[in-house]
Amino acid sequence: MIESEDELKRVGRFIAEYAARLLGAGVHTSRVVRNSKRIGRSQGVDVRMTTLQKTVVMTLCTPSGSIVRTEVIDIAALPIGFELNSDLSALSWEACDEHLSLEELRRRYERIISKPRIDPMFVLVVVGLANASFCKLFGGDWTAVGVVFTATLIGFYTRQRLQLRGVNHYIVFVVSAFVASICASSALMFDTTAEIAIATSVLYLIPGVPLINGVIDIVEGHVLIGCTRLIHSLLLVFCIAAGLSATLLLVKNSLL
Amino acid sequence: MIPADILSDGFFAAVAAIGFGAISDPPMRAFPYIAALAAAGHALRFCLMEALGVDIASASLCASFLIGMGSLWFGTRIRCPMTVLYIPALLPMVPGMYAYKVVFSLIMFMQNLADPVAGEHYMQQLFLNAVVACSVIFMLALGATLPIFLFNDKAYSLTRRKKP
Repeated sequence: MIESEDELKRVGRFIAEYAARLLGAGVHTSRVVRNSKRIGRSQGVDVRMTTLQKTVVMTLCTPSGSIVRTEVIDIAALPIGFELNSDLSALSWEACDEHLSLEELRRRYERIISKPRIDPMFVLVVVGLANASFCKLFGGDWTAVGVVFTATLIGFYTRQRLQLRGVNHYIVFVVSAFVASICASSALMFDTTAEIAIATSVLYLIPGVPLINGVIDIVEGHVLIGCTRLIHSLLLVFCIAAGLSATLLLVKNSLL
Repeated sequence: MIPADILSDGFFAAVAAIGFGAISDPPMRAFPYIAALAAAGHALRFCLMEALGVDIASASLCASFLIGMGSLWFGTRIRCPMTVLYIPALLPMVPGMYAYKVVFSLIMFMQNLADPVAGEHYMQQLFLNAVVACSVIFMLALGATLPIFLFNDKAYSLTRRKKP
């Protein structure tokens, strides 16, 4: 049981950090709220929170209401991590079922967030294969599939390098869409389904996770953050469109 | 050659789901299930559209509902949240060609401002493709989320080790 301001402060800091980490890694809102409240309950604290795109505001209080504390924490834009989502959700159940102490929780949390991500080279190759099979699904022939595979490798590599340098991500999307589609427009030189090749070459950029999360948030009643997510992903879609348009303006006469 | 078409449709959807899923760093144990869900969902949509002539939005709703139910079932077995399994599995059904045509018609419309006949044609193309693309994406998210509403308690405790 929490008895002093200091204890509540330590619990509050941990839960705020946990919630911000989940939201940053692309978890839909109702899950974050549920998990945070669950951890709070396991530590004997009531948690009430509001989430926005860039900040979480939460108030923690002891069941009797004698000690109250408010935490405001910024949400860092992290890459989307489904493994993090899964492990941190499991951690909240462990906290609840095994009655973990705050020190043990913190230790397990640090272990989970320091796990390495999937190797970028592996991701590069499977994304190439994925976009190539996309081309096949849309009715492209095998030449187009080969062109899309190569174009995606080049485009996705550009995206990875630019992101490592910390370039603004709207610019990253415009540039990678342009690079991938201009590479794919080389299909125009062959007798093949060039239009399908150009169209699919940029699809690896589609922000599917925030789009779907946005709809989930809206239907679950978190309308404000749901709309924010949708607007954010629409901006990214516009960036893809801008990069693709640059290519289309260059080659449109061959496509008509 | 219908069975062969269905199989190849499912196969390519599975590869696409694994690749696009890998960008979002899912747990390794989830990959086989993501592939299976994507293949089943996409093949179902293919069958509905080819064999029964269902429109793309309704077919996507059925397929994504199947994926949602499957992710609830697999999620229980490998202790993964549903969204971790179904979001990558939905990605191959994102209406990419329609989205592309929206961009293409917009550009062609702007290039043909002086020609009302061509302009009208491209404007119509723009609306048609935009409506299809938006409704398919909405149906995809809705269909996969429905099982969460139907089986509330179960969906919320998938990552719990000790079942009550």
